[in-house]
Amino acid sequence: MGTRSTNMISPNLTPLLDVVLQLITFFMMLVHFGSRLEGSNRAVRLPVAPAALPGSDLTFDRLPVSLDQRGGLRYGGRVLLGAAASAWWAEQAKIRRAGLELLPPGPSGGDELPTVVILRADRDASYGTVRRTLAEAQEQGFAKFSLVVLRREHP
Amino acid sequence: MSFGMGMPASTAATLGTMADSAAAAVAPRSRRYRPGPPDEVFFPVTPMLDMAFQLLAFFILTFKAPSAETHIDLYLPATPAALPSGPRGQARPSPSRAIDADLENDLLVRAEADDLGDLKALRLGEAIVPDLPALGSRLRRYTQLLGNHPLRVRLVADDRLRYEPAARIIATCSAAGITSVRLAQPGAIPALRGLPPGPGAGGGAR
Repeated sequence: MGTRSTNMISPNLTPLLDVVLQLITFFMMLVHFGSRLEGSNRAVRLPVAPAALPGSDLTFDRLPVSLDQRGGLRYGGRVLLGAAASAWWAEQAKIRRAGLELLPPGPSGGDELPTVVILRADRDASYGTVRRTLAEAQEQGFAKFSLVVLRREHP
Repeated sequence: MSFGMGMPASTAATLGTMADSAAAAVAPRSRRYRPGPPDEVFFPVTPMLDMAFQLLAFFILTFKAPSAETHIDLYLPATPAALPSGPRGQARPSPSRAIDADLENDLLVRAEADDLGDLKALRLGEAIVPDLPALGSRLRRYTQLLGNHPLRVRLVADDRLRYEPAARIIATCSAAGITSVRLAQPGAIPALRGLPPGPGAGGGAR
């Protein structure tokens, strides 16, 4: 007749703790790496530019816009073409100038808008479309732009 | 009661105690005082494990896959004519705009497109550049030669060029240390208008 052991069984938690702490370290390290900029949408396939270095930190005053393959300006679910896009740039500049009146004049003298325009243009859009879009924004006083690109192709 | 020789009772008791201690030192120790094996040190792992799992859950829930996105900064000063007038009816030119008037110091990068919109030819000034890495190395050499002097690039590309090769050119310029990349209209540079696309046009920036 067998006897039941009364010894307490204590699981060895050390390997489990090791793995958990390694996982925490892994996620902590990755949490600081590349972050997706706002304004992404599936209608725009970003160009791949491996030479692109990480840009500077963006300010809080940002205006993310997208440019699809046909040259349509996408903002807030709307697609603007031609004169509607020009009117939209003018409206955005007017809104921001109205806001700037409440603030002290910046180092640029107040004629240039401090807003950073984040442009996500489709890789198959024409350069002419992108250039004209930037020129329209320029005419309204926007001077700071950030072109969003991919450093490598998504798998 | 005394033990004799006129010894007080307290002294006799003290002596008796000392005698007992001496006897105890000589005799083997009793079982009560024998030191047992050291107690097992128990480290409370459970709170630590709870904390670790909470941290792990936090990081897993807030985890975003690393993105390959980056952004290329462009500073394109607005044209003075398009800006609203100042308080006294005069636009105030910023220093950057005064520098911008000096177009002769800008390097010209010309990109020509084929019928499909792909990059067909690339020129730095009027010199043919075989590919983007060569453009980058040349620009990097210029920036090293110029030291602290800012070097600007004016990109003149065909409008039908796809945006992807254009973005690669801009990224190459930016990575080579070019402080400013301007996007010019195809007909904005009269000296380059009508230039034959083939090789042999020397005299440019090399």
